Formats: sequence, C-alpha cells, structure tokens
Amino acid sequence: MHDGTRTPGFRMSNDFAQFQDAFFEEAGEHLAVVEEGLLELEQHPEDVELLNKIFRSAHSIKGTSGMFGFTDIAQFTHKLETLLDLLRNGQRVVTPQVADLLLRSTDCLKSLMEAAKSGSAIDAETVQRLTSELVVSQGVGLGVLGIEKTKVSGLNSVSPTGRSRVYSISWSPPAWLLQRGLDPLQFFKELHNLGTLSQVAMDTSKLPDLGAMDPEICYLSWTIQLETNKDRKAIEAVFEFVIEDSILQIEDMTVSNSESHVAKASPQHDTQSREVETGDGLPKPLGEILVESGVVSRETLDQALAQQKKVGQILVEQHVVTPQQVEQALQKQRQQESAAQSKKTDTASIRVDTAKIDKLINLVGELVITQSMLSDLGSRFEMQQLPVLLERMVELERHTREIQERVMSIRMVPIGAAFARFPRLVRDLSTKAGKKIQLVLSGEETELDKTVIESIGDPLTHLVRNSADHGLETPEERLDNNKPEVGTIRLNAFHEGGTICITVADDGRGLNRDKILAKALTQGLISESDKPTDDQIWPLIFKPGFSTAEKVTDISGRGVGMDVVKRNIESLGGTVSIKTVKEKGTTFTLKLPLTLAIIDGMTVRIGREAYIVPLLSILESIQPKREAMKTVVGKGELINVRGTFLSMVRLYEVFNLQSEFTDPAKSILLILETEGERVAVMVDEILGQQQVVIKSMEQNFHKVEGIAGATILGDGTVGFILDVRGILEIARRGEAMAV
Amino acid sequence: MSKTALIVDDSPTMRQMVAFTLTNAGFTVFEAEHGKDAVSKVAGGPKMDIVVTDLNMPEMDGIELIKELRKLSAFKFTPILMLTTESALEKKQAGKEAGATGWIMKPFNPDVLLKTIAKVLPA
Repeated sequence: MHDGTRTPGFRMSNDFAQFQDAFFEEAGEHLAVVEEGLLELEQHPEDVELLNKIFRSAHSIKGTSGMFGFTDIAQFTHKLETLLDLLRNGQRVVTPQVADLLLRSTDCLKSLMEAAKSGSAIDAETVQRLTSELVVSQGVGLGVLGIEKTKVSGLNSVSPTGRSRVYSISWSPPAWLLQRGLDPLQFFKELHNLGTLSQVAMDTSKLPDLGAMDPEICYLSWTIQLETNKDRKAIEAVFEFVIEDSILQIEDMTVSNSESHVAKASPQHDTQSREVETGDGLPKPLGEILVESGVVSRETLDQALAQQKKVGQILVEQHVVTPQQVEQALQKQRQQESAAQSKKTDTASIRVDTAKIDKLINLVGELVITQSMLSDLGSRFEMQQLPVLLERMVELERHTREIQERVMSIRMVPIGAAFARFPRLVRDLSTKAGKKIQLVLSGEETELDKTVIESIGDPLTHLVRNSADHGLETPEERLDNNKPEVGTIRLNAFHEGGTICITVADDGRGLNRDKILAKALTQGLISESDKPTDDQIWPLIFKPGFSTAEKVTDISGRGVGMDVVKRNIESLGGTVSIKTVKEKGTTFTLKLPLTLAIIDGMTVRIGREAYIVPLLSILESIQPKREAMKTVVGKGELINVRGTFLSMVRLYEVFNLQSEFTDPAKSILLILETEGERVAVMVDEILGQQQVVIKSMEQNFHKVEGIAGATILGDGTVGFILDVRGILEIARRGEAMAV
Repeated sequence: MSKTALIVDDSPTMRQMVAFTLTNAGFTVFEAEHGKDAVSKVAGGPKMDIVVTDLNMPEMDGIELIKELRKLSAFKFTPILMLTTESALEKKQAGKEAGATGWIMKPFNPDVLLKTIAKVLPA
C-alpha cells in the first residue's frame, strides 16, 4: 500500500541543528540559481559554464541537506545532480523535454524544502514519479533506484566479543606518504589509541644510499603487534586514507580462531538486509520491492498506482458521503495545510550587510557621546551656555535622524527577489496559452521594505497572469494586426518621490471599453445616464466579481483577483492605476510607500488639536477668497481653485472639534490629492513638517473613518494622521460625519 | 598557541558549521569561499596547521586548490582534508593524486570531523 505521505526524518543527533535556518536561506538562494539557470539553459542549451553553475548549486543543496538529516532532499537532489552531470559531460543533451523535467524537479525540490522547513508531509507520489523520470532520462537501468544509505557513524567499533585480541599488522606505505601531508607517526598514535602496541619492527631494506635518497619519499615499512578489543574494521579505519595505496596485512593472532568467522559473517548479513530498506530506515513501498525484484515492470506498477483510488472516491462510490462533502473536507485540509505553512514561514530572518551594522554601531556611539555631553551641560546649566545647548541639540537631531535612516535601510531589500519568479511564470503561461511572450525586467535593484516586497508578490503575479491571458493576443492575431508575433510584458520598478512605482505593462489589445461598459450596466455598477469617462470605466475591473473574459481559462478570468489585487495594494497604503490604449496595450501602475512604519507628515492645527496630513498627498495650501466658495445641492460646499471646483471638507465638523475659524476665508485650505482625485480640507494653521511613526488605530482602538492612524508628537501628546482617501469619501457623500 | 585551520567551501552554511566545530575545539579558524580566495588568503598570511576544503566550488575547485597549495613550501606537508559526498568517489582518487591527505564524507557530524582531523594532525 502506498502511503502518500511520509514525514521527513529529523535525526539531529549533533550540534549542527542550530545552522538549519542558515541552510534554508542558502538552499533557497541555490534553488533560485538553479531555476534561473535552467530557464536560461532552454535558450542556450550549449552553455557548459551555465550547466556548471547549476550543477554546483544542486550539489551544494545535496551536500548540506544531508548534514541536517534531510535525506529526502539529499536523495532527490542526487538524482537531479546525476542528470545534470551527464548533461555537462555531454553524455546527454539538453532537449526541451529534459529542460522541462529539470524544471519540474526543481519545483518538487522546492516543495520538499518547504515540507522540511515546516515539518509537514511531502507529496511522496510526485517525488517518486519524478525520481523515476530522472532515472529513466539518465538512461540507466531501473535497478539503481535503490537509495544509498547515508552513514554518519563513529570510526571505532568494538569487536563483537568485546574480548581483546592480538593482531599482527604489516604495513608498507606508498612512497608519496609524506608528500600528501601524512606522517607515519600519526598512524602509530592512532593505533595506540586502539590498544597496546608491542613489537614495532621497522624494515629499512629499501632505503637507498644517502646520496640517492629523496627526503620526501617514504622508503620504510613496519610490522606491528597490536592488542585491542576493537575489531579488524577499526584497524583498517586507521589506514583509511592510504589503504588502497599501501600493502597492508592484518592477521588475527589470537589462539582460538572460531570467533573471527562470526565477526566476518555479520557484516555480510547486514548488506543483505539493507537492500529492502530506504534511507530513513522505513520499509520500501511494496511496489518498489516488486519492481526491484523484477516481478513487475515500472510501467505496470505506475499503471496500477494510477488505478489506486483515493479514500474520498471510495466513500462516494459507496454512497456514504456526497462529492460536495468530500470537496469541502479537502478544502478544509488544504486550508489547514496552508495555514500551517504560513505560520511556519512567518518567522522570517533578514540578512544584513555587516557594513550597515558597523555604521549603525558607530552612530549609536556618537549618540551616547552627545547624550552624555547634554546631561553634563544640564547638570550645571547657565543661561549664557544657551548657544552650546542649541548646538548640541542640533547634533542630537542629526544623529537621531541618521540612525533612523540606517535602521530603515536594514529593512530595505532589492525588489529583484520579488521579480525572480516571473521568468518561470511567463514561460509556463506562454506554453499553456499558446502565446509567444517575452518578459522584460528592469529596476530590479530598486530597494523597498521587506514586508512590502513579501506582500506584493501575489498581486504582481495576478497582474502578470492577467496580461498574459487577457492582454496579449495569440501570435496569429498579432500578425494580423501588424504587430510583432512575440508579445512583451514589461515589469519595471523605480523610485518616484517618496514612493516606489511598479509597472506591469503589456503591448496587447488594451482594455475593451464597450465590453466593460456593457458588463457594468448588466451588473448595475453604473447607469446609462452616467455617461462615464474612460477614467471612470477602467477602475470598474477592480470591482468584485467583474470579468469580461468570454471563456474562463485556468490561468485567469474567473473575476476574482483584480479586486483582491486592489485590496492588497491598498492595505499596504498603495494605489493601483490603469493606463490603456486600444490595440497598443495596458499598463498597471502600483504606487507603494517605501516603508509602512514611517511617513513624512505636515502637522496642522484644528482648534487645540494637532493632526498630521501625509506630505505626499498635499498639493498646495491656499487662503480662499469668499467669492470662490459655492454651495451646490447634493454636493456640499465647493471651492473654485483656478477654475476647477473642488469639494471642501470642514475638518472641525468631521471630527467634531471647536475650531478657531469657521469662516473658510479666514482659515487655511489644504488641497489634497489621492488616486487622481482632489479635495480641499479646512484647517486653522499649518504647524510644520516632521516624520512620524504610524501607530495603528485598529490595533489599539478601532477603525475611525478619516483617520489612518495615530502618532506621538514631540510634546508627548497623541496626534491623528488623516486618511486622505477616507476624507475623499466623506466629501463625496457631501455630509459631515458625527463622531 | 592554538592551531590554525583554513576552511574552504562556497556554502556559507557549511563553512559556519565546520568553523563552529573547530573553533569550539580550540582552533583559530580562517575561511575562504573558493580556491582562488583561499590561495590569495594564505599568500603571506599565517601558516595553517590544517586545511579542510570542499571540492565543488566556483572560480577554483578543491582539486586545483590542493595542487596549488602543494606547490607552496609552507603547505608541502600540511594535512589537507577534502569534504566530499559518497557519490563522488572518483573525486577521491583525483584528490589523492593532487596531494590530499584524506577526506571526510558528507554528511558528517562534529565528532567525525574532529576525529578525522586528529588522525592527520601532527601533535
């Protein structure tokens, strides 16, 4: 019976366990090298240097994984490595089939790695199937499927009887003994550790005349008697490094000889029983044994296995459960699996350049000096020292800011890591959809916060899938439209002000205005009378359940996803915008904050309260004239800013405050912009600009409309940070919110 | 004076593990990423009492490194151990011909590592 699942063996009997995290990180990097290399290899199958690079990475994974007892990984990688070795030696050539097999094996290796990391079950069937595919592709008989045993054993073993024996050892070392850094004395020392040495006789007969002697050559040989309770193997182990090149005779001189036969017989018995064991000591599946003993062929076994039913299927056929119940249970299982996995992988670590840390330590040192100078000054302060005090304060501020920047930079990593998955994705998508697609990546070195990078992977994947499936046309369609046969998807990342822009652009057919409009009308998202502009139509594709794809493909088109993309990006404090030209292509632009923890803010005063407005959203501040103001029924108050009417929000009304001014003409209006929409908010005074650390409202209180978070101000009081989007919503409703 | 050891491996994890074991055993440990790195690090540097090297490495592999080291007078008789996997037995032969003193099969545990080193390290 095939058991489907098997937990990886954790046999950590040594001190190396603490390096496991480092191993996973390194193995992840090697896997990326392998995958990237394989994709490139498809384009340049002749590149031997590339194959060497891939081989080295695979080899590294194999060697290191064995050190942690991850035998599943080590064995599988060994098969992969063997095939790679044949390829780089030119004994096999890289065909598309081989490249595909290698890529699938890399995927399998990835999941094995995940399983090892989280301690969850492995997909034994896939592993086994790929293992046999790898072996078959090597053109080797199936008999070698058996798995090598990994030995981590001590060097000395006690003889079965435990009684001491006398051995006569005669040893003629190879002439080059000394040249390989070996010293005959070492061997005697080791032998001495095993027991008692007696009668050490040196044979000098081969020693030439002094003049003809090369001092680096070993001309000597020895005969030694050793009394020990260790067995012959322990003695051979002493000569491990030279045994193949020496003349070595070990004779058991103990009087009763019958026991030595027993000692000899037992290891043979060992090797026989070993054949039916897998590396981790578990018995092999029945099928494997049958194949190895030649009773059935691999094909017959695979066919039989394919017929094997899953437990759900059997229960459905017996009418014990309905297919829906099984599906629900399966879904639950998957959820539990993924929950378990995400839990395990959440404890992330970050690799930091030591130079960054050294600099930080220096800065902290300087900070401590400034602080001690200040406290010294404070203990005997006199008024005439005020300029000194101010100077010290400036220094303190500079150090603090620099430390903040350095600490933030620790969290910054290049976005290239998030882009790395796309070459493979696009390759798979293009084969699946029968399209020719080239992927162009740029700006991989752009740095942003590690958390942001981790969270944008899925939204980006969705956008790329979307471009490949909906955006780009089939090669025939493209040729008909005078476009190059190969479609292009461009991923680009760059800094713009304090934000990161990531664009996903395709040169496909562009969004279809009529289709979106028609769909929106049937879904009641807009009405005919609205006469929506293009800029209002495109964002409709972000509405939940919205898909205009004529047929649902397995790549995308179920109408779930685009809304999730938007939600994900917004939860990171970013925005998504669309630019599309018919027959020319579509560009999605994601704007993301550099970091989630700190923003540049403008402090404003409303009555006696201080509020923070995100600096990025402020366009300008004005003092309006009375005649620029208007009230329109259903739209609330409007203000004419150089010919454009903007909604005006009285923040003191929104947050129910006592403000100094209720007349807009006396107060100050800030013009704020987000997602291309503008709004004017009324405040009493602008206090100044500062960086603030965002504290979540939801975590400490509850969500308040119009407020994005809170922060601690310089004087120790709490200041609220305006949520510009929320303010826009309030303005759109044309009403004040009662708090 | 403590013994010096040079560890050559392109895998930082492997280097860390070997270095950890040897440091705990009282060695002063030097690390190199590959053969070239090792050669440049030992040039004019401190004398090594033992070298532990991986075989598969970029730039310069372990076999080449052993050959290069044996050419240097300071390394003529220095014990050099190679880290190798069971499946790479043919490498063992190549390593011996290049002048390797011995080998340690991966996977190994700290105990095996230290015992093997004791085996070849002159007192």
